[in-house]
Amino acid sequence: MKKLIIVLLLYCSTSIAGEVNIFSARHYDSDLDLYNKFTEETGIKINVVSGDDKALQKRITEEDKDCVGDLYITSDAGRLGELESKEILQKINWSEEIKNKVPKNFRSDAWVGIAKRARILFYSPERVTEYEIQNLSYEDLADPRWKGRIVIRQSDNIYNQSLIASLIENNGKDKTLKWAKSIVNNMARSPKGNDRAQILAVAAGEADLAVANTYYYALMLSGQKGEEQKIAAKKVTPYFPNQNNRGTHMNISGVGILKFSPNKSNAIKLIEFLLSKEAQDHIVNNTFEYPMIENVLPNELVPGKDLNFKQDNSTDVKLYWDKQSEALKIMLLAGWK
Amino acid sequence: MKINSWYISSFLISLLVAIPLFTVFSSFFEDVSNSFEILKNTFLYEYIYNSMILLIGVLILTFLIGTLCAYLVSFYNFPCVNFFKWALILSFAVPTYIYAYSLTAFFENYGTLYSIMKNIFGDGNYNQSIPKFDGMLGAIISISFSLFGYVYVLTRASFYHQSENLIEVGRNLGFSKKNTLFSIILPAARPAIITGLSLVAMETLSDFGAVSFFGISTLTTGIYNSWISFDDLAFANQLSFFLLVFILGLFFIENVSRKRAQFYIPLREGFKKKEKINLKGFKGFLAFFLCVFVFFLSFVFPIIQMFYWTIKFPENFYNLNINQLLMNTLYLVFLTSIVLLIFSFLSNYGNRITRSRLLSSFSTFSITGYAIPGIILAVAFITFISWLNNIISGIFDFGSFKKLFIGSILGLVLVYFIRFYSLAFNGIKTGYEKINRSIDESSYLLGYSKLKTFLEIHIPYLKNSIFLIGILISIEIIKELPITLILRPFNFETFATTAYIFASQDLLEAAAVPSLFLILIASLFILVTSRYILKD
Repeated sequence: MKKLIIVLLLYCSTSIAGEVNIFSARHYDSDLDLYNKFTEETGIKINVVSGDDKALQKRITEEDKDCVGDLYITSDAGRLGELESKEILQKINWSEEIKNKVPKNFRSDAWVGIAKRARILFYSPERVTEYEIQNLSYEDLADPRWKGRIVIRQSDNIYNQSLIASLIENNGKDKTLKWAKSIVNNMARSPKGNDRAQILAVAAGEADLAVANTYYYALMLSGQKGEEQKIAAKKVTPYFPNQNNRGTHMNISGVGILKFSPNKSNAIKLIEFLLSKEAQDHIVNNTFEYPMIENVLPNELVPGKDLNFKQDNSTDVKLYWDKQSEALKIMLLAGWK
Repeated sequence: MKINSWYISSFLISLLVAIPLFTVFSSFFEDVSNSFEILKNTFLYEYIYNSMILLIGVLILTFLIGTLCAYLVSFYNFPCVNFFKWALILSFAVPTYIYAYSLTAFFENYGTLYSIMKNIFGDGNYNQSIPKFDGMLGAIISISFSLFGYVYVLTRASFYHQSENLIEVGRNLGFSKKNTLFSIILPAARPAIITGLSLVAMETLSDFGAVSFFGISTLTTGIYNSWISFDDLAFANQLSFFLLVFILGLFFIENVSRKRAQFYIPLREGFKKKEKINLKGFKGFLAFFLCVFVFFLSFVFPIIQMFYWTIKFPENFYNLNINQLLMNTLYLVFLTSIVLLIFSFLSNYGNRITRSRLLSSFSTFSITGYAIPGIILAVAFITFISWLNNIISGIFDFGSFKKLFIGSILGLVLVYFIRFYSLAFNGIKTGYEKINRSIDESSYLLGYSKLKTFLEIHIPYLKNSIFLIGILISIEIIKELPITLILRPFNFETFATTAYIFASQDLLEAAAVPSLFLILIASLFILVTSRYILKD
């Protein structure tokens, strides 16, 4: 019996040379094709478990030293920050290549961004005047003239939490609470559905302005959601807020290496691959995110495809984690469902 | 009381199943500070309120649909009645989360209904006139149409056993049909209806897929979030307490009604088969229409929605490795069914031959695992294994066994085992109760050993029960999502996890293919057993 246990344990703990184990809370199917490309090029096999972010975190934490995961991949900088602060990710001395490719505000000692996304406004050109939309900022959405006209997701949504976190950082807690209360007053309906549902609500005339991430809009335009949604998307106009000051709120998808990673060098190779032109091209054309590196352009369907909008590079995405729970609290206090 | 190997093995099985239950409710007693103190009461109120509304909504709807359909197919003849008799149980094949996907996609702005209207009537702004079934309403509808089968099956069985004599009494007393229904038929079926409803209630309280899809915070999602999102064990504990109160309440009600049920079991001699009433003309059409309506909404509607997408976006079908998914799903199904059947047999047999009251009540406690939401059970399991490993590796020095249980098929099967043990245990128990103990005595007298009695007498006797229960477990496992999602090994997907992953990247269209396969396979399992489920 004892022998059997030892054999089983040996079997479980030996990792075959040439593989990377990924925990993925960003379950794009297209990512799997990307991993296959990596395997073709390097011969390194990739194993994936995908799932809900918090559940994966719990599994990794409890597995502790026995965790065979090498890489953690997720969307939202706040989540990456959480993994770093809980020491689920290890600190890495990133190579010069990675440091040169990824701007400083989109990486930390424990993780690097691999793609960018923007949370912007989508309005109905029929019901929102040129004058109203001109120079609009997130802050302006609190204005009473938007009463009953705005749709946005629930407060438990992580993208909202990061957006509010950046507002807290820039405007302070008290002002943001006041802002959140006004937003709740200005909502066209009680928050429900995902980002795409917000855009659809504007297209259908339920509201005049939606807050949503850019890639949802491109997904609708791509026809993957059917002809009707393509037509619906064309009924709304994307708008990048805060162009006159700090720029539009940015977030990232990113990766980090897990604390007890058994295949660390292979995992780093994979990160370098994800930041290669080939992989970045694949990402922008499948998930409709913005590229992390220079010399790669976003997909044609994505708003701001020429990257000619001002991104908020002054608010460090590393701050999102520190402020997310405060952000949630503020939204809940404001009655944001 | 004799302590022999049967006793010990039964005890160990019950212990295994009971341990996570202790973990769920004891691991919360750690105190962790957090910044949400002032908001907690609001949360607590909201979770309880939402759970109550959801529960009441689902119970009313499943009661109405379940008993109405059961009444119609049991007492009347109308077109296609024999078809509806079994067709209505196909709703068991549709998991609540897949129903939720279909409902949303059909009624959303620019959704399927919009497309249909546009194709028929031409361009127009139909969005505002299309009703929206989302949020709480969406959750209630999704859960009700996937679960009303429990009420239907049990109520129908009870109606079937109602003797014509009983109804004649009503007629002799000058009762109208309506009076007979409300004063005799329904009250006599009450225990069955309540048992069905309490099963529905249990599943509703532990639902995660549909409620999280619709963004409803219930006690279950609340426990999950405060436990693993906010690391707030104290609050999770508080919430679990309320959930426990709900569940114990249900157990109590169900138990009381089951005890009463004994008065209603008809004696063979007094039983007179009912004559079904022929419904003609408009009434027949109405009954037919009602059954079509329920069958359509509960089964055809989600299937058509998924089928429509599969045809519209065929690349999703070609891109999916269906063989692999099928193999993985069936692998889990067979492994778990076999393990569950063997162990619940052992444990039942142990209970039977030791006749220990302690063991019997312990078994009863251990089967409450069914009431614990799968997602909470999975998290509790991971926590428990890690805790146990730390303790044992502190005493003995043979490394860690976590990997054997977390992220392995063994672990998955073990948690399925805990979750569905009650299903298997109770099923076998019901079968066992029908075998008279004197048969055991005779077998011993003939010189059979206990093992031989078990293998050569009990097992052949219970063949049908084994088959039926095996299939019921299989259907549950095909549909199971949260446990599989958290505990599965690397590169291991089932139809359920694939559907979920597509749905969570906002590609319900791509989720259609695995969902469709999931429903079809589960339906196949149901069809195979329909004559057992509907046993008259």
